[in-house]
Amino acid sequence: MSDVLIDLQHISKVFPPDTVALADVSVSFKAGEIHALVGENGAGKSTLMNVLYGLEHRDAGDIVFKGAKVDFRTPREAIAAGIGMVHQEMLLIPEYTVWQNVVLGTEPVGMFGTVDVHRAREGVRRKIEEFQFNLEADALVGDISVAARQKVEILKLLYRNVSVLVLDEPTSVLTPQEIPQLFGELQRLRDKGHTIIFISHRLDEVLSLSDRVTVMRRGKVVSTSASSSLTKQDLARQMVGREVLFTSRRSPQEPGDVVLSAHGLSSSTVEHHSALHDVTVEVHSGEIIGVAGVEGNGQFELVNAIIGLIPLTSGRLTVGGRDITHADILARRSLIAFVPQDRGKMGASGAASILENAIMTHHILDPSFSIAGGLGLSHRRATAFTEQVRKQFAVSMGRVGDSFHSLSGGNQQKVILGRELLLETPFVLMDQPTRGLDVGSIEYVHELLLDLRRRRRAVLLISADLDELFMVADRIMVMWQGRVAADLATDATSREEVGYYMLGGRETAHAETSS
Amino acid sequence: MRKQALSGILGVLAALLIGALVLLLQGFNPVVTYAALLQYSLFSTSGFAATLTRSVPLVLTGLSASIAFASGPANLGQPGQLIMGALGATLVGLFVRLPTGLLVPLCILASLAGGALWSGFAALLKRVFAMDEFIVTLMLNFVADYFALWVITYPLFDTSASSPMTRPISMAAWLPDVGGVNASVLVMVLATFICWLLMSWGRSGYEWRMTGQNALFARIGGCKVDANYVRVMLITGALAGLAGGLMIMGGPHRFVKGLGANYAWDGIMIAVVANNGILATFLYGLLFSMLQQGAIGMELVTAVPSEFIDVLQAIIVLVVVAGRVSLNMVFDKLATRRKLREESKE
Amino acid sequence: MNLFFGLVSAMLVGATPILLAAIGGTFTYYAGIFNIAMEGMMLVGAFCGVLGSFFLHSWLLGICCAIAGALVMAGIFVLFAVRLHTDEFLTGIALNLFAVGLTTFLLRDIFHVKGAFTDAGIRAIPALRLPLIDSIPILGKLLSGYNLIVYVAILGTGLAAFVIFRTRFGLRLRSAGYNAACLNSSGVPASTIRICSLIICGVYCGLAGAYLSLGSVRLFAENMSAGRGWISLAAVILVSGNPWGIAIISLLFGFFDGLTVFLQGSQIPTQFTAMIPYIATLVSLYFYSIRKVRRS
Repeated sequence: MSDVLIDLQHISKVFPPDTVALADVSVSFKAGEIHALVGENGAGKSTLMNVLYGLEHRDAGDIVFKGAKVDFRTPREAIAAGIGMVHQEMLLIPEYTVWQNVVLGTEPVGMFGTVDVHRAREGVRRKIEEFQFNLEADALVGDISVAARQKVEILKLLYRNVSVLVLDEPTSVLTPQEIPQLFGELQRLRDKGHTIIFISHRLDEVLSLSDRVTVMRRGKVVSTSASSSLTKQDLARQMVGREVLFTSRRSPQEPGDVVLSAHGLSSSTVEHHSALHDVTVEVHSGEIIGVAGVEGNGQFELVNAIIGLIPLTSGRLTVGGRDITHADILARRSLIAFVPQDRGKMGASGAASILENAIMTHHILDPSFSIAGGLGLSHRRATAFTEQVRKQFAVSMGRVGDSFHSLSGGNQQKVILGRELLLETPFVLMDQPTRGLDVGSIEYVHELLLDLRRRRRAVLLISADLDELFMVADRIMVMWQGRVAADLATDATSREEVGYYMLGGRETAHAETSS
Repeated sequence: MRKQALSGILGVLAALLIGALVLLLQGFNPVVTYAALLQYSLFSTSGFAATLTRSVPLVLTGLSASIAFASGPANLGQPGQLIMGALGATLVGLFVRLPTGLLVPLCILASLAGGALWSGFAALLKRVFAMDEFIVTLMLNFVADYFALWVITYPLFDTSASSPMTRPISMAAWLPDVGGVNASVLVMVLATFICWLLMSWGRSGYEWRMTGQNALFARIGGCKVDANYVRVMLITGALAGLAGGLMIMGGPHRFVKGLGANYAWDGIMIAVVANNGILATFLYGLLFSMLQQGAIGMELVTAVPSEFIDVLQAIIVLVVVAGRVSLNMVFDKLATRRKLREESKE
Repeated sequence: MNLFFGLVSAMLVGATPILLAAIGGTFTYYAGIFNIAMEGMMLVGAFCGVLGSFFLHSWLLGICCAIAGALVMAGIFVLFAVRLHTDEFLTGIALNLFAVGLTTFLLRDIFHVKGAFTDAGIRAIPALRLPLIDSIPILGKLLSGYNLIVYVAILGTGLAAFVIFRTRFGLRLRSAGYNAACLNSSGVPASTIRICSLIICGVYCGLAGAYLSLGSVRLFAENMSAGRGWISLAAVILVSGNPWGIAIISLLFGFFDGLTVFLQGSQIPTQFTAMIPYIATLVSLYFYSIRKVRRS
């Protein structure tokens, strides 16, 4: 256990123009350990591992592997040396089968450069048996569950005989029931002699799984210590740099009138969207309703149906008493503030200026923006409004004309939140508003949510983070296969119960392929 | 903005250098060649006037492509729309009898309508059948080309001519020269100003730009993305049509075989180097016009084939566009080094 | 009967360049490159074909020059789009313009002509009489005696299908298009695969160009690719890259192209018959779009 396998020495990395992702980071990993790398989003954990893996190029520092200086310029070299990495966003090809995905890059070759299908498939099958992964080699990756895909990623590395496995936030896509199964597999791998580096920001799982923990904050290493000597509070303090509370901060409050009423919403399968079946939700003023569910069980479709991006086949939708079932998006936007899950795709234009992003929707709904009878746009008003967003939502930014993607993720989200909440609508729709933000920004968003609740707005909050839902939501609605599987009062339920419904109310977690 | 101007100037200079190298390899004297080019395009009164007149279709088709690309639609149909616009102006100029004050505006309207008709057809196919305008506008270019050829070969053929062309349009529709410069230049400058106003000050311009950058964002923000699409197609088609109309009214005063062929892709090329900016499109339009006008003088003086300019233009496009990306990478590298030095000082 | 054979032959003449360019394009399509430079590659190929055939007195060397010319274009594409990360669409447009400019310039510079160059010194690519089959009465006439490149195109289609769907390179090629990051993390640089696909595309487009200038005719004319690169791009998109689908589409276009030739003597003005291939592209795009809308 004591011999150092990988030694990262004084690593620095800058993302232009001025983001210092890693500042003089030194960590060592021992052979045969499970080593957790924890820190907030943006602390530099993934970047550090990408540097080790040859995906990012460091600007300074050395990497020592098995006692010799190494410099992996590509993942291929890292893999050849025995280091493999499973990324946060899964890097698999849904159109390919499990075995095709596994062998890609190291395919056994037959005559005329053909892929030796028989040898490849058998090799993959043998590995599946060896590590007792419950997988079907011929299943299409697009058809199998998320947990199974993760296994395919791990299998892909084991097939290349790596001895070091780096896993970037592997539990973020799993349900509470699926996590123990993964942990069992990882411990089995360690016992067979593999070294596992495990990136996470979930403190409970870090403590239960790992042998040692390294905490990172803002591109620097805070500490490395044996996990047996740590408590969750210690870790959180080191991660954030101050005390963090893990309790609900909702004050008791009676909900008011119904604001959003969605009754029996159904939609059919269109272009990458699964169907909704008879979804009914009511959100009252002064209430936050949380929506939980494994990704892809209709939450996104519900959001799209409410905002008017996908057509309903049946059902009725009203906000503040106004029927918007057939209204166009603009009409809905005068009633609904909407913070989408993907800032880059739905919430903003990265290439445009901060100002141009801030005034969207206002430029139509607020008459003070128009000049010459709506033909022109008042630049003075737009600037004043952007300054208002900056002040009211504490956005740290340069000039209003700077490009939106020059802002940090947290500040981008603040501009979007400012834009949407200043619409002063009765109903607020938030789809994963804290995804990808650092802890400081997450706390800010939570405060904002609770403030909205105090000011008696109605909020529908879709989130993949159960902690978040338990912290701010009055009720938690669980979605499964496009239906409402359960509607639970937060104070009368538990994470286990929510997890149970997230898997469709099945007794145990099934991580095997669905084929 | 300043960065773009820098990369543009550097790019054009680099391209001219590469061009000089090509000339040297062919055994020509690049200094004499470039001097002749400038002499015949800028430093002679008639040459300068000709450069300005030639820039009219270049700038207008460039604006058409710039506005289209900035707003989303991949309208590659400027050549076809130009032809249809020219045909519209020709028809009115041939068959309508009105005084100049009325006929000129009417011809201009007809050219706008001709171009908009052709792009509108592509927009219609997109809206109704979801047919990609990228391929549709391209194919319609060829259709317009052959259609115009048929029109001037059969129904409107000038029987006294040896090659396909129409009779001259009514004198009342001719655009006069104002101080040596054709009035079509004034129309072009006015159109550029309106485009600039529309894109940087207008509400539609804001919505179009946002749609072009991220259509889903604009749609969720309440912009009428579909209606805007049709508007952009119609306006950009009209701009290309205007280019064709002005070419008839200011130039040969009749539809001659091969009209617009030389300008086929120039508009798109100019929009590409200008990165879809209105002002940049105007300036590059003038630059390319200068090159094309100077090419004639260059061939007279130095025996370098005028087609050399076609090569030079393509080199400018490649170098400027690639330079824009590479220059950003250089800036990034410099920023990284500066930041690291700051870090180590701490 | 003779009309039938004539039509088949005209169909193959029209289909061959489109098929070759489209098969080249399908490699880049699978590699995830938005490659619109086929038009330019083909044009440069056609010019270099004439250049090689005229000066080296050999049609085979002409073909080699055509391929080399198209490869230079592919190389420029690689330099800008893959290496310097210039936008693929813009690179493609610039390359197509470059091709037109370069060939007209060189036509003037080397052959001292404007418009078109034709000369008895240009060696044409010969027709091929298939042994054995040639002597069978009707079948022989149907299958044998076409230009060599026609057979190369047919073989090239089969080869493409084999390479894309059966080989290791094909598996990686398709991965580059599906998910380049996945391929990169699997240890195969997607950029290498993309460069290979562009080189292959260059070879196919060079053959297409050689056929244009040395196969069906013996001349080079300004802009003689006449939008065939664009049509082949449409063909690739219409069948989502499937080589056999491309073959069928190309034959369809070849048929309409052949029809153009046949209708030349009829009452219909040539200007309208010349439109047929482009309108056929629009019609097939219509069916493609309608089907796509219905499916979703």
